Amino acid sequence: MTFAVTVGGRSVECDEDQALLDACLRAGVWMPNSCNQGTCGTCKLHVVAGEVDHGSSPVETLSDEERCAGMALACQARPRGDVELRPQGTSAARTANPLRDMVATVREVSDIARDTRRILLGLNEPLTFDAGQYVELVVPGSGERRQYSLANTADEDKVLELHVKLVPGGVATHGWLFDGLAEGDEVDISGPLGDFHLPPESEDDGGPMVLIGGGTGLAPLVGIVRTALRRHPEREVVLYHGVRGEEELYDGERLTELAGQYPNFRFVPVLSHEPVDGYREGFPTDAFVEDVSTARGWTGWLCGPPAMVEAGVKSFKRRRMAPRNIHREKFTPADG
Amino acid sequence: MTTTERPDLSWLDEVTMADLERNPYATYERLRAEAPLAYVPVLGSYVASTEEVCREIATSPDFEAVITPAGGRTFGHPAVIGVNGDVHADLRTMIEPALQPAEVDRWIEDLVRPIARRYLEQFEADGQAELVAQFCEPVSVRSLGDLLGLQDVESDKLREWFAKLSRSFTNAAMTEDGEFANPEGFVEGDEAKAEIRSIVDPLIDKWIARPDDSAISHWLHDGMPPGQTRDREYIYPTIYVYLLGAMQEPGHGMASTLVGLFSRPEQLEEVVDDPTLVPRAIAEGVRWTSPIWSATARISTKPVTVAGVDLPEGTAVMMSYGSANHDTGRYEAPTTYDLHRPPLPHLAFGAGNHACAGIYFANHTMRIALEELFEAIPNLERDTREGVEFWGWGFRGPTSLHVTWEV
Repeated sequence: MTFAVTVGGRSVECDEDQALLDACLRAGVWMPNSCNQGTCGTCKLHVVAGEVDHGSSPVETLSDEERCAGMALACQARPRGDVELRPQGTSAARTANPLRDMVATVREVSDIARDTRRILLGLNEPLTFDAGQYVELVVPGSGERRQYSLANTADEDKVLELHVKLVPGGVATHGWLFDGLAEGDEVDISGPLGDFHLPPESEDDGGPMVLIGGGTGLAPLVGIVRTALRRHPEREVVLYHGVRGEEELYDGERLTELAGQYPNFRFVPVLSHEPVDGYREGFPTDAFVEDVSTARGWTGWLCGPPAMVEAGVKSFKRRRMAPRNIHREKFTPADG
Repeated sequence: MTTTERPDLSWLDEVTMADLERNPYATYERLRAEAPLAYVPVLGSYVASTEEVCREIATSPDFEAVITPAGGRTFGHPAVIGVNGDVHADLRTMIEPALQPAEVDRWIEDLVRPIARRYLEQFEADGQAELVAQFCEPVSVRSLGDLLGLQDVESDKLREWFAKLSRSFTNAAMTEDGEFANPEGFVEGDEAKAEIRSIVDPLIDKWIARPDDSAISHWLHDGMPPGQTRDREYIYPTIYVYLLGAMQEPGHGMASTLVGLFSRPEQLEEVVDDPTLVPRAIAEGVRWTSPIWSATARISTKPVTVAGVDLPEGTAVMMSYGSANHDTGRYEAPTTYDLHRPPLPHLAFGAGNHACAGIYFANHTMRIALEELFEAIPNLERDTREGVEFWGWGFRGPTSLHVTWEV
């Protein structure tokens, strides 16, 4: 008889007389372990769902209290049915904003830069989300789904703002959002999704931040940066917007205005391929390295094409930002 | 070939201690292939070299622990690693409370993280460092030293002690007559022990009169009738076990893990970017270069046949865990560091009732130290102007590790 053992989103098969650890390791699912004889306690974990037989787990390593609290030694415990495990030290998932399916109404479609549109979607009911999260749009007639980040702050919860870049030949953009989408249209959406957002306000210490957006990767940063500044008006924040040429820049006025309100906020547009006097030239990830001599204690936020995100991680680490403080949202155009 | 035919092992006569200390792998690779349980003349002992034979002996009811001759000469009796029965049970009962996972969890973060931070602050602005001497060893000895109650002993002194005890413990070469081939090799260990006694004896006097929460104070008092303490001569050999292995090996483990990761830059980057991978990186690091490479032994309690070799009662066998962890029967390309290799259990912490008591403490000390290192210096690179040399047969790790980073 075999049962399903689920840990960290992976599911493996485990015989009724096989140790949980053995089943996981054989399936290539690593978990901390050392002695494999029940004495060191390294493989202690939480049984989140289902029941296990503790086998010969010694009470010195796994106390009765721990057994009652749902702990087990993976190297000794056998499954009595399907079980779900959570390794020690990993916290239970934070209560997430509930995911909802909704019908939104197009409020506004505007061309804001070369091949770039701002789309405003009205909701009947407010949506609970964190600035930086995204929603999925169902492409009519195709069943395909596409993900777009919200540029909103959490209190802008009845009209969602999306920034969309045209993908030539793309089912969603070329075939719909840039062709035929009109005010008043109904759109099926799901959201909110994603973990690209600030920590809860109580855990936000107001430390310095750098945000780098490539093209319409600016969208979630517009929501995050406004939220961050409202929480801590004095905090140091630098926002880079990297595009190929001046014609792809947008929201400059909005962000310059923000810089007027918050003295320690800087907005830096950077042009990579079509230089123009008065603008920084090159890649935004290099501009950061030129501008900031040390990013120790900073948090970093990257949203854009994978190559830009990878370059950003390298730049941040070069300036010694702690990797756990680097947040990244890669957008990989599914469209095309 | 019949089963009674023995391979010709005369090549073993040429093996010297210096060969083994410089690089034991070639010799043990041949042993694993030709004779997984073999008598090695320079060591004056049988040696178990494969995963299967090491595990069989370590967990066999027909064997019990014995300390190696050089180890016994260095530590004296009764050291926890070399005793059995009631004495072993008492010594494990003495040391284990402080090392239980639930107990370690209570203080390990507050103990190790500030120590790691403190050593990092001394060099993180320099753009270069030698991590073995400036980070791995100091964090290892300071963490354990503070736990034991040796706060007033400088980290450099603790490093000097483990180095001297280590060379003495592994001064294993024997003559054909069963005598130590290099008796002068024990002198520095004796000097270290004399100095240890001169510093620890007054502390023991203090703890007898005024117990505190340090580990050695607990060793003296725990489980004893009121007004009585364990005799210091009874606990000193186990204090030496700590001052050698427990002080030295977390440092070895960290440094070997780092060298392994530097050999796979893409895997180093993965671990730096995702600190939850640090424990797995360490597990592979101590498999790849096991800190306790060949330092423990077992002795048969009756005539027994292992791996086709008949052993009379009272035959000592050295457990070569560093070799077992390179067993090609178990690991593909074992000489390569690979964070993502199939995660099979290894023998770096031994097996059976003498498995390392400090597994949990050591793993978490190494984890916190590397987390802090990667957090402070995420742009760490190996300084390729300097080589990396490993040394040791009984205990093994890099002798130095030069790194650079942009500041």
